[in-house]
Amino acid sequence: MNKTSRKIIIDPVTRVEGHGRVTVQLDENGKVKQARFHIVEFRGFERFIQGHPYWEAPLLVQRLCGICPVSHHLAAAKAIDQIYGVDPEDLHPTATKIRRLLHFAQVFQSHALHFFYLASPDLLFGLDAPVEKRNVAAVALEHEDLARKGIQMRQFGQELIKALAGKRIHGITAVPGGVHKTFFPEERDYFLTETDTPSVDTMIEWSKGVVAFIKEYHDKNFDWMDSFASYPSGHLGLVGSDGALELYDGRMRAIDSHGETTLNDVPGDNYLKYFGEGVEKWSYMKFPYLRHLGRENGWNRVGPLARLNVCDSIPTPLANEELREFKAYTNGKPNNHTMHTHWARLIEVLHCAESIRDLLHDKEILDVVERPKVNRRPEGIGIIEAPRGTLMHHYKADEKGAITKCNLIVSTTHNNEPMNRAVQWVAQNVLDQQQEITESMLNQVEVAIRAYDPCLSCATHAMGQMPLILEVLDADGKVIAEHVKEAT
Amino acid sequence: MSNNPQDNNRPAIGPDTLLFGIGNSGRSDDGLGWAFLDRIAQETDCAGQLEYRYQLQVEDAALVRDAQRVIFIDSYQGELPGGFAWKPCEPSEDFQFTTHVLPPRGVLHFCQELYGKKPRADLLMIQGMSWDLRIGMSPEAQRHLEDALRFFKDKILT
Repeated sequence: MNKTSRKIIIDPVTRVEGHGRVTVQLDENGKVKQARFHIVEFRGFERFIQGHPYWEAPLLVQRLCGICPVSHHLAAAKAIDQIYGVDPEDLHPTATKIRRLLHFAQVFQSHALHFFYLASPDLLFGLDAPVEKRNVAAVALEHEDLARKGIQMRQFGQELIKALAGKRIHGITAVPGGVHKTFFPEERDYFLTETDTPSVDTMIEWSKGVVAFIKEYHDKNFDWMDSFASYPSGHLGLVGSDGALELYDGRMRAIDSHGETTLNDVPGDNYLKYFGEGVEKWSYMKFPYLRHLGRENGWNRVGPLARLNVCDSIPTPLANEELREFKAYTNGKPNNHTMHTHWARLIEVLHCAESIRDLLHDKEILDVVERPKVNRRPEGIGIIEAPRGTLMHHYKADEKGAITKCNLIVSTTHNNEPMNRAVQWVAQNVLDQQQEITESMLNQVEVAIRAYDPCLSCATHAMGQMPLILEVLDADGKVIAEHVKEAT
Repeated sequence: MSNNPQDNNRPAIGPDTLLFGIGNSGRSDDGLGWAFLDRIAQETDCAGQLEYRYQLQVEDAALVRDAQRVIFIDSYQGELPGGFAWKPCEPSEDFQFTTHVLPPRGVLHFCQELYGKKPRADLLMIQGMSWDLRIGMSPEAQRHLEDALRFFKDKILT
């Protein structure tokens, strides 16, 4: 083994959104000195949007991220509603239902993509599988039925988004104080009946199937799933007035790793009172934390695992039954097993499918929406549970309606500290004092990060971009090993 | 890479041709793929189905399944002689799948594996220069777009 200090860099991380860079610094004895996950985040959007009319925000933010444009669209719309002068409870009931339907479709298709195409290669083939096999191409080859279902679940969600927004790109669902388009009976019926696209009932059956799959997988692999990249943490998510899981509009609840409440169902419009954002010299991305607990102890996970930890129930019966089982595994205590995020994500898939069915059967969803009259306010805050976790949009507008200030705290920013903890776990438990750093070991760093399904720098993706570079540097900064993979 | 579409057997551009414009007009020259489709729709009687994407996704394999011909149009970060390039695209499993980046050859691979279909596919890459958060393209990218459009209208559509 080389006795000089080595630095291992994985740049960017594969199979996550955008650009990530992992740096593991070893000392002269091969012991881990430091492990960090750097995220190249574009913060320019907050400046970019200044000067634009406030009603443009829900449209412009869709271009912030090609992965979750719907989540940004809805979070911005909720904030802009307030500048328009409408609180959530004053929105036309049909507008709320159409927005919720859109949101469930987005979370459903996003989670389906993550499970079938990002997580399943790790789960089906194992961490030690050859790199050429640890890919969704191999899933398509060896588990054709799974791959086909993944595509059809994605299609279902995307088609529903298209029906609600008018089109897939540049579509408009939410406008200040309402929605842009009425949902028509023939559009609704398409998703209730079995045609080229399977019906919502089939989606529920398939969702039950993937939850059964992950439970069976856990039964066989609980040693690994319970321990890998696990660490105690706080958890943050939205809940309804009854404490149930809430993805579209609720109050913020946080608990610590023991289950003690650290944020007690507070409204989102006070988020600045509760949250601070730490800065580190080595990272472009900030580190949110609960002010009263401080930077060191106040950080929280967000996303599926956190949401199931903070909620008391799920408001759809099949998913709620799965939640009971999920919570029973840790005796009602917070679940800090990072790999159980996959399990939680699939329970949410089932919840979304059930919720979509319920909303499609709700006659009110077809009503024509009337928008309340404008009653301008100077600022608005919209908080939503995006697929990856709590997403906050905050805007201020001047008397002419031009945006003067924008602050976004995206899900991946909340998960900045948790993902760094996960990387540190793998560094300490897998890479530390090894004679040789293998590709399989490096992949485990990525497996830990992938559990969070991070969305990093959003939508620039031109061909020729995003090579995977792995460099091993000695103490003098000299590259002693390098791997480069073209991503496109 | 070649801009010479010497192929007498290529299917004509009809309703069963899919044109994927890939990109994001909110990020300057990353919007080249969408701008190309906008111009095709405005300036030609192209009968192909125009599909706008932030990025390709696995479900696009199901769309490709029903097409006779597929053309992927995307911006390119790097040097291209003449500012654009046209080349055939073959299915390949040799790619790193990310939810952010599923390359055209990956979509074709899924289509072939899952549906047993392999439509004729081509790639049109247009060189971009600027990738900042900005609506509107750089003058260089605009020139490359015009050149790529002229090539497409003269050599592919006719």
